[in-house]
Amino acid sequence: MLSEIPQLLINGIMAGAILAVPAIGLTAIYAVLRFPNFSLASHATIGAFAGYVANTQLGFSVVPALFCAFLVAGLVGLLSDEFVLKPFRSAGFITTAIGSIALTIALENVVRFIFGNSLNGYDLPMQRDWRFGDLRIGPQQVENLAISVVVMAVVFAFLSFTRTGKAMRAVADNPSLADIKGIDAARIARIVSFAGMGLAGVGGMLIGLDTSIDPLTGFRAMLSVFAAAVVGGLGSIPGAVVGALTVGIGEELSLLFLSPSYRSVIGFLAILLVLILRPRGILGQRAY
Amino acid sequence: MGLLTVSGVVAGYSAADQILKGLDFRVDPGEIVCIVGPNGAGKSTLLKAVAGLLRPSAGSILLKDRPIAGLRPREVTKLGIAYVPQEHNVFPSMTVRENLEMGGYADPAAAARRLDGVMERFPVLGRKRRQAARTLSGGERQILAMGMALMVEPAVLLLDEPSAGLSPVAAQGLFAEIQAINRDGVAIALVEQNANDALEIAHRAYILVDGRNRSDGIARELAADPEIRRIFLGG
Repeated sequence: MLSEIPQLLINGIMAGAILAVPAIGLTAIYAVLRFPNFSLASHATIGAFAGYVANTQLGFSVVPALFCAFLVAGLVGLLSDEFVLKPFRSAGFITTAIGSIALTIALENVVRFIFGNSLNGYDLPMQRDWRFGDLRIGPQQVENLAISVVVMAVVFAFLSFTRTGKAMRAVADNPSLADIKGIDAARIARIVSFAGMGLAGVGGMLIGLDTSIDPLTGFRAMLSVFAAAVVGGLGSIPGAVVGALTVGIGEELSLLFLSPSYRSVIGFLAILLVLILRPRGILGQRAY
Repeated sequence: MGLLTVSGVVAGYSAADQILKGLDFRVDPGEIVCIVGPNGAGKSTLLKAVAGLLRPSAGSILLKDRPIAGLRPREVTKLGIAYVPQEHNVFPSMTVRENLEMGGYADPAAAARRLDGVMERFPVLGRKRRQAARTLSGGERQILAMGMALMVEPAVLLLDEPSAGLSPVAAQGLFAEIQAINRDGVAIALVEQNANDALEIAHRAYILVDGRNRSDGIARELAADPEIRRIFLGG
């Protein structure tokens, strides 16, 4: 049993890195718009299917297909926020969060209407796993890890070095002061909706590259993504990365004593433990 | 006409809760104008109305003869009025340098040039430019908040109780900085609980009671008035 731990740790890091991408999207949206946007689940699914179409029907390789996933999910996120969720915001964050659940059900069924319920797989070359002693690592897993790390680096560079990224952090930190200083919070909200849901789309496709996709791809990942954001500190982008790795590794290690079908209990447990022991999450609620 | 002229302004947080009840106020070029009065007199509300955070239901606010009442805060900032709130006046998780950059967000072309100037004026900000604003002391935060306001080279600087929560020594240092900023040609409207010190550095002052003008005039003369001293300045 103990001999399985290194393999599970590696799998956990791989899974956590993929989970971090949509978790950053969720936490960034929360930091700026102050509500948990549960429609992230359906945007992850939309991204996965956009990438699927780009890959299997347009013949794009993985990286260009991921760009398609980002753009399509981001665009749907921008439009759905502008026309569906924005009108809810004046009614408070609970109403808006519930509205986002309704939105995700509607979008999920649009995907089901177009693509059906069956499982779909990306057109990827067959590759043999690499073996290091007892450890096995899939080349696709490593590619996914590398893509996740690059995406996270781009997000951090955007927030650290660009005027818009800094303005986004300013709005997350202190919206009324940001308004006084000339930052247009409505424009920042549109950018964060596009980028956050775009990241959800990339996350959805990365999950699909590892397995297969169907209209519930995003929904199944949502608990782990939400747990990652809460564990790290909802609203904290580095926290989302730390939380995703914690949840990813925790879910894999749970296989030592739980059947795989109970793996999702780890997400619930992580949320419960954090809310009891450290409600602000591991890194607190600072946006950056 | 003054640089900033407020005439007959009625404003508050709701239609049933009007704090300012027809207030007049003026800041001329190069002046420090102090606003004093008891709690609830409408001092901070006046600054918020000028800064665009509250929309007056009556009256006018003119900046160099241009009406600005009802404009969004960012539009008011772009026109040359910089407002420093009493609390939550910095971005705590951002560095000092990033805070200054956000201070100059409304005018990005000039922000890089002004950044060096502000850090030269306030050496503590230059020394701590890589530190998160939340790690600064209360006095340093107030300096940072003023530095952010100066990043747009305002015609009028609105300061809401800048010495609140500071030690007497830190407050004295802050008042000296306010005077130095004013000597560079920035007109300042200053709301202060610490009225004695504020009247010492101000050219003119307004005394407000219950959202209305009680009296106004040369700051030194008001500070010497026995009745005003007894009622508003603690004897």
